[in-house]
Amino acid sequence: MINIDHLTKRYGSVTAVDGLSFEVGPGRVTGFLGPNGAGKTTTLRMLLGLAAPDSGTATIYGARYRDLPNPARTVGAALEADTFHPGRSAIGHLKILATAAGIDRRRPAQVLDMVGLAEAAHRRVGGFSLGMRQRLTLATTLLGDPGVMILDEPLNGLDPEGIRWMRDLLRQFAAEGRTVLVSSHLLAEAAQTVDDVVVINHGKLAAQGPVAELAAATSTTRIRTPDTELLTSVLARQGITARLVAPGTVEIRGADLDRVARLAAAAGVIVLELSRHTENLEELFFDLTTDRADDRVLEACSS
Amino acid sequence: MSTIVNLTRAELRKLVLARSFLITLAVSVGLAVTVVISSALAAGHNGAPALATIAGADSLLKLGVIACVAMLVLGILAAGGEYRHKTIIPAMLITPRRGALVAAKVIAVAIAGAVLSSVTFGVGLVTAFAELSAHGINHLPADTVSMFAGSVIAGTLFGVIGVALGYITRSTVAAAVGAVAWVLFVEQTILRTVAPHQVKWLISGTASALTTPVTGGSPPLPAATATAVLSGYSLVLLAAAARLVLRRDVA
Repeated sequence: MINIDHLTKRYGSVTAVDGLSFEVGPGRVTGFLGPNGAGKTTTLRMLLGLAAPDSGTATIYGARYRDLPNPARTVGAALEADTFHPGRSAIGHLKILATAAGIDRRRPAQVLDMVGLAEAAHRRVGGFSLGMRQRLTLATTLLGDPGVMILDEPLNGLDPEGIRWMRDLLRQFAAEGRTVLVSSHLLAEAAQTVDDVVVINHGKLAAQGPVAELAAATSTTRIRTPDTELLTSVLARQGITARLVAPGTVEIRGADLDRVARLAAAAGVIVLELSRHTENLEELFFDLTTDRADDRVLEACSS
Repeated sequence: MSTIVNLTRAELRKLVLARSFLITLAVSVGLAVTVVISSALAAGHNGAPALATIAGADSLLKLGVIACVAMLVLGILAAGGEYRHKTIIPAMLITPRRGALVAAKVIAVAIAGAVLSSVTFGVGLVTAFAELSAHGINHLPADTVSMFAGSVIAGTLFGVIGVALGYITRSTVAAAVGAVAWVLFVEQTILRTVAPHQVKWLISGTASALTTPVTGGSPPLPAATATAVLSGYSLVLLAAAARLVLRRDVA
């Protein structure tokens, strides 16, 4: 549904997005993750036609955003939670957008009810809390009942109840078969919301895939043994790279635990301890986006 | 076509809901009434022509400048305000066809300009008629109709110029300061000194030709010429604005 293909954007000498490619499919919530300045918002702006790429393409249903026949009914997108005229009411803001898109005049009241703002419909947006603005932003994206939802940091400013509400809503959208792409830097919350992740760093793709698969691929197996040299050479003959992380302890990334145990037993290696550590989303994120991230992690993810 | 109609309806709704149009209209009407009454009070004193003279009656109808200034401000607020409040982002997400968005804004502001200019001049005219009647003069100046038409045309075109400036600068303050600086310093101070006979071809000169009563003699520019020149300025600025809106990234 969403296809980013070798997308590049430069601002002067700074390359904000560098040959980025990934796809986002329907029926799942996809988290678009990366540290501040990684290029997330720039990528979304190019996807939504607000910024022109220097090269590459960003398409939705195979078309650029501005070429979609009726973008408001196809894509519900929100990039910031503060894109309202403070003097307008919530219902007034939505009615303007609904009128512009040719959407039924009853729809604004319906979407305000869906996001829990029915009672605040006639209040001026200038007096709204950040959480209420987030809800109103979401209401804006729902106006056209779109099949694709693209939200930039939708969890920002929400209290725990609001985060849970947003999480349930996003999962409901995915369950209805919609394509949901959300950027976030709130990793703990995102971990409980997303099915898949696209992680970028310095404008480049760091990893993409289901969270569980990525975590498994980057998991580590740690073996405590007095025969570290023998074990390392046995594993190397099988194409498995092991590294000494402490005296008498070697670590392997992404290898099958059972296979390692059998290889060690067959070679007569004494194993004192064999344990596996599977990374959570936060550990995975830092592994992928900090400068100490090494190529092995990326290789594990891509394989 | 339906896209432009929907967008124009949305833009008109914005003008009304933001209340800036209603406030500007109220201020314009109030100023028009004030100008007429104060001109009537001043007539016949300190060298000002008496109301019974053509020049005295004409002096009550110098109302076009009010609509021009009001619509310039309204146009700037309508376009520059989109960037100030970042409402340009949802607007462009709903309608990524930026040319249509600019066209709808211009049409809506032009409609607002025609309404505001008509109401402002109309209320001023009624007030002027009441003042003249109170002084036993039961007819309006001969060029009332042309001044009414000139004020509506100038007010509408100044609204378009305001929209263009708002889009070009993406700032209500920069657009307003720039417009004032251009008219007061560049046109009325520098160019009036350097080339006094060419001032009639400038923005303020053409607006003056359309809105200022001609008491005897010939006007500095015929109304049709002034309309064409002011329309030309509006179109050039609008073309520059549209080009920038189409090309620039929205941050």
